[in-house]
Amino acid sequence: MSETVKATPHRFKKPRSGNQDRSVRRVTAFQVISVVLLIILALLFTFPLYWIITGSFKGPQAVNARIPVWFPTEPTLLNYQKLFEKPAFLWLFNTVFLCAASMAFTCVAASMGGYALAKKRFFGRTVIFSIFVCAMALPKQVILIPLLKEMAFLGLHNTLWSVILPTVGWPFGVFLMKQFSENIPGELLEAARIDGAGEVRTFTQIVLPMIKPGIGALAIFTFITAWNDYFLQLIMLNDTNVLTISLGIAKLQSELSTDYGLIMAGASLGSIPIITVFLMFQKFFTRGITMGAVKG
Amino acid sequence: MTKAVKGGSSLSRANQRRENIAGYLFMLPSLLFFLGFVIFPMGMGLFTSFFNYTMTDFTFVGLDNYRELIADPIFQKALVNTVVIVLVSVPVTCIFSLWVAAVIYRMHDRYTSLFRCIFYLPVVTGSVAVTVVWKWMFSPYTGILNYVFTNLGIISRNINWLGSADTALGCIILILLTTSVGQPIVLYVSALSNVDASLTEAAEVDGATNLQVFWKIKWPQIMPTTLYILVITTINSFQCFALIQLLTSGGPNNSTQTIMYYIYYNAFKLSRYGYGSAMGIVLAAIIAVFSALQFKLAKSDNG
Amino acid sequence: MKKLFALVLCLALLVPAFALAQTEITLWTYPIGNWTDAETVDGIIANFNEKFPDIKVSVQYLDYTSGDDQVTTAIEAGTTPDIIMEGPERLVANWGAAGKMLDLSDLWTEESSADIAAAGATLKATCTGADGKLYLYPLCMTTHCMVIDRAAFEKAGALQYIDEENRTWTTEQFRSAMKALTDAGYLSGIVYCGGQGGDQGTRALVYNLYGAQFANAEHTAYTIGSEAGIKGLTLLQEMVNEGILTADPGIVAGDAIALFCNGTTATCFCWNASSAASNKATIAEGIEPLAMAFPSDDGVPVLDGGIWGFGLFDNGDEAKVAAAKEFIRFVCDDPQQGPKSVYATGFFPVRASFGDIYTGTEKAEYADYGVFMPYLGDIYQVTPGWAAQRTEWWNLLQRIFAGGDVTAEVAVYTENVNANIK
Repeated sequence: MSETVKATPHRFKKPRSGNQDRSVRRVTAFQVISVVLLIILALLFTFPLYWIITGSFKGPQAVNARIPVWFPTEPTLLNYQKLFEKPAFLWLFNTVFLCAASMAFTCVAASMGGYALAKKRFFGRTVIFSIFVCAMALPKQVILIPLLKEMAFLGLHNTLWSVILPTVGWPFGVFLMKQFSENIPGELLEAARIDGAGEVRTFTQIVLPMIKPGIGALAIFTFITAWNDYFLQLIMLNDTNVLTISLGIAKLQSELSTDYGLIMAGASLGSIPIITVFLMFQKFFTRGITMGAVKG
Repeated sequence: MTKAVKGGSSLSRANQRRENIAGYLFMLPSLLFFLGFVIFPMGMGLFTSFFNYTMTDFTFVGLDNYRELIADPIFQKALVNTVVIVLVSVPVTCIFSLWVAAVIYRMHDRYTSLFRCIFYLPVVTGSVAVTVVWKWMFSPYTGILNYVFTNLGIISRNINWLGSADTALGCIILILLTTSVGQPIVLYVSALSNVDASLTEAAEVDGATNLQVFWKIKWPQIMPTTLYILVITTINSFQCFALIQLLTSGGPNNSTQTIMYYIYYNAFKLSRYGYGSAMGIVLAAIIAVFSALQFKLAKSDNG
Repeated sequence: MKKLFALVLCLALLVPAFALAQTEITLWTYPIGNWTDAETVDGIIANFNEKFPDIKVSVQYLDYTSGDDQVTTAIEAGTTPDIIMEGPERLVANWGAAGKMLDLSDLWTEESSADIAAAGATLKATCTGADGKLYLYPLCMTTHCMVIDRAAFEKAGALQYIDEENRTWTTEQFRSAMKALTDAGYLSGIVYCGGQGGDQGTRALVYNLYGAQFANAEHTAYTIGSEAGIKGLTLLQEMVNEGILTADPGIVAGDAIALFCNGTTATCFCWNASSAASNKATIAEGIEPLAMAFPSDDGVPVLDGGIWGFGLFDNGDEAKVAAAKEFIRFVCDDPQQGPKSVYATGFFPVRASFGDIYTGTEKAEYADYGVFMPYLGDIYQVTPGWAAQRTEWWNLLQRIFAGGDVTAEVAVYTENVNANIK
């Protein structure tokens, strides 16, 4: 078992030896210029985040100063006080719940569906797969109005489920898991069948362990997508109590369009948790993203 | 891959039945969600696009919505803008991220992951948070960009970046770029690291230049990654909505109007659901064409 | 799958379970004075619950940027609130005309009709839809004006151009003042046109300059395409080109107000008693806000008015409708609560019997804004196609300030907006 897992053809570790060989090679002018440029760009890429965080600690004077205050010399918690007059923590909780639920359901549904598409020779398989692939590039705006009506009909509009269900229905997960399941050696499944293992046991004991890395990749993917899917949230969620943090920030923005201190406090609250998670599990993240594409 | 499975399809009737049942049972959850929340609304969207469907009205009008669409100057503008966004941001994203990846993948592991992290930051910061901070930075009154540029002498007076038809779309594309290069960089770094080292070394021994090594050996090997990046970036660029909604609402004078936003606008500001649905269908068709083109291009490149 | 269904089912069951205990009604309010402030509104609801403990009111606060979209989605999804607080342009001309609102004629008793008529003869007509139904029960009204920074005017030597006593000025004086401010290094004022927020200011600015009318008296056509209207728009375009006025297609009134309060600009075209109150805390040091009427060629302005009150969405639940009407009656008609409800808005009562509610209170300076009430013009916001008109309006301004030909652009606007009138 474990050998076959290792045999899956994904390599994430760099070929170490080759890597070190290169680092001692001569340095060309192109490389020097590139690195300098890269450092400048890296600073520019971090700047918005820096501006969000420092901005959230600036008082109204510093925020509106026409000569920018590069660093809050008189940091204040005023913005956060104002922010927590709104149910900001609830928004954060809603977002986490929404993303976690989308992630869990997607992983379950997609790993089952992907496995079936890859390994089960059932009638209509090719047609179903083609439809899934075609639907993948579809923007959600296309189905927005009917989806809204449908959710209203189901009595789910204005609940987090109205965002979770369409996210789970999105075909990308099935596509991804199908690609992963292709690598399961047919002999292994055959052997399990001969040993008398039922479909369910085969799936949970043989298939699942083998596609575990794929599930990890899908989980991360779904989580980030759901976190950033502002559009669906905007259409489906209305009540202050069911808002997500993204909607909350957007609402602050439209209510008090120039109170940038407060808006930045909201943006900090919305981004710091996920950035922290990202930095903590960075390896896992990059691996997940890469694996998602290996078979793309 | 699909063919391999097909090849062995000499199943007995009983076994085929078993496969059918098992297959559909495994598919059931994903099919339910997919049919229920993607295919069904899509069918409804197609259906309602033939109706004059507003808050008060629901009458069949045939192809009228589509006819109006073709003649609608704002839709044309939105279409052009959408295509511009895609045509600019997709290649730039690909080239930029390939360049970054090429520079950082040979570095020490620690620096590779540092840079990877930095370029990935805007993705995890969240689209809305990124959008609002850029709005502030672009502000003609208290924005840092105007301050820096005027002081560097690049511009003579404060520019209303998002409020001027000449610059607004460029600004939107710029922000879109910062949020879309993170993933491609990660992908390219990994793809480049996986290029067979023995091949490149052999080529170098034969006296090939860096550029030759890149084009002849690395480029073909990272082609699948490039294709994948093209597809996800295209989808992403078509879907950019938060940027438009929160920064310009399609203005000034529709210079940043995109189909995405125009659909939303028609549906929720003017309550013209049928018209919005028709636009959605047209957009879906356009995206399908784009995707098909990319697959074709990439395939002919490979061959 | 089972789990999911169980969850969904639970969720669906929870909602009515809560509702059984008492009649629960929902109220959505647009930002009307302090009706955005949970403390104030909770106080009002607490007063209400003292009298009607069985009716639970939950509130949702909307803003002018995304509020309309929220209501539209709610209408489509069938999740509209019971009560909504806004003005006739939405309640009567938009949702009322679409058949989504309930007739409130039983709230308009003989007593209240007479009292409201005493404050303004045409008020009741404004609350009436084209079908003769009364979709709005009003609470308060005001005139929209603009504001200048008196200190900046003084420094720029522009005080000579305004009639401080009557708060009026002529078009010529306005032009001179803007020039003086610019020459003194101020950002004189911003004609915002990034969206519909606070567009009453830009409308009033344009139609006052040369005495144009925004819509005809019968409310059957938009008439800013008249000679006087074009002249006004041309003047603004010239002033922007000259650099003595700024046009910003990136911001709306809220931003413009914030920029005025932090001292970026010396005037703001969107102001009223309520904005004065809600922005009190943010006004930077050294700024002396002075409310002014819009400049007009004859010095006699016509001001945009606003009426706000309550409407009921047709949700088909008799018990809730009855409860909601109790709430509206209590908030608007109760002799004790009524004036307090108006006080919270910062505007003026529509009931003459409430009298002066500000003198001798913390908001004494509000009484000041009474000076503008005589200039209250026709409430033309109930002209059909209003929602579409608002979009066309800021788009028109964007085109004009991007250098478009005024006459041609106005013609496009007029054609588009009048096409929406059925």
